[in-house]
Amino acid sequence: METPHYVAARVQRALAEDDRTNELGIRVDVRGEQVYLRGQVSCEERRHQIEDVAREAAPGLRVHNEITLVEVREPGEEEHL
Amino acid sequence: MRELRIAAVADIHLGEDLRGHYRKKLEGIERRADVLLVGGDLTRHGTVEEGRVVADELRDLQIPVVAVLGNHDYHSDHDRDIISILRDAGIIVLDDEAAVLPVDGVRLGVAGGKGFGGGFAGKCASEFGEPETKAFVRHTREIAERWRWALKDLEADHKIVLSHYSPVKDTLMGEPPEIYPFLGSYLLAEAADSEGADLFVHGHAHAGTEKGVTPGGIRVRNVALPVIKHAYTVYCLDGDYC
Repeated sequence: METPHYVAARVQRALAEDDRTNELGIRVDVRGEQVYLRGQVSCEERRHQIEDVAREAAPGLRVHNEITLVEVREPGEEEHL
Repeated sequence: MRELRIAAVADIHLGEDLRGHYRKKLEGIERRADVLLVGGDLTRHGTVEEGRVVADELRDLQIPVVAVLGNHDYHSDHDRDIISILRDAGIIVLDDEAAVLPVDGVRLGVAGGKGFGGGFAGKCASEFGEPETKAFVRHTREIAERWRWALKDLEADHKIVLSHYSPVKDTLMGEPPEIYPFLGSYLLAEAADSEGADLFVHGHAHAGTEKGVTPGGIRVRNVALPVIKHAYTVYCLDGDYC
């Protein structure tokens, strides 16, 4: 079995460099044959694209997509500096 | 002197898949703020098409919009095209320069640009060794020098530095310390501290924290969208109320 450390690095690199994603802020953890993706993106489509790219970069492993969507709320209270 | 209300956000990462979504959140911004600052990573891939989406989302607001690019906006080598598209839409784009915006008789000066990395004092790269390392650090140093001059020449009642990269570690808390050198540089803070400013706004660190301060005492705010979790945050300068 490939060292999990290098699998995680390859997935992270793919997410950053693949033109479908170009996501730098996704945390990738590999435990045995399980890959965990964590982070935040702006929409469901981007969440799925990240999962697709991760699956391709880690064939044969089970990918858990734990990425959440950024909730952009209405502007809140001002800060006085 | 009237207070100034500064709306700020960064890392909006717009694309065709988000067209129209961010614009909706900007409705009524003219009642809440006097200016909108956008601290880079306007796009995801840095394409001309995404640049057009950004221009459409930010154009024709009733308050001025000042933006800088981020590293994502450089990815497809169309940074100059994106700047042109945004400027054609009436957005002020700072590329290591400054602009003065009159707001009801108060002169708001904004200086800045993308910025760059290198790390923070005591734990940073220096212009030594391989040409690639020297080029990396030189890029940041030259940017900081241009900002220093831009701030020095800026005649304004209030000064703000707008950047994509961070000037301090404070606002990176939450990011892995190993990647700090890729998230900012103390040279950016040093430039601001040497000439003075009221506020330093940046993005880039999605997992960072909002509030920090430069060694010279300038308030720093990381307004990356995943950090502030609002369409924008409003900071008030010099006033008892907003």
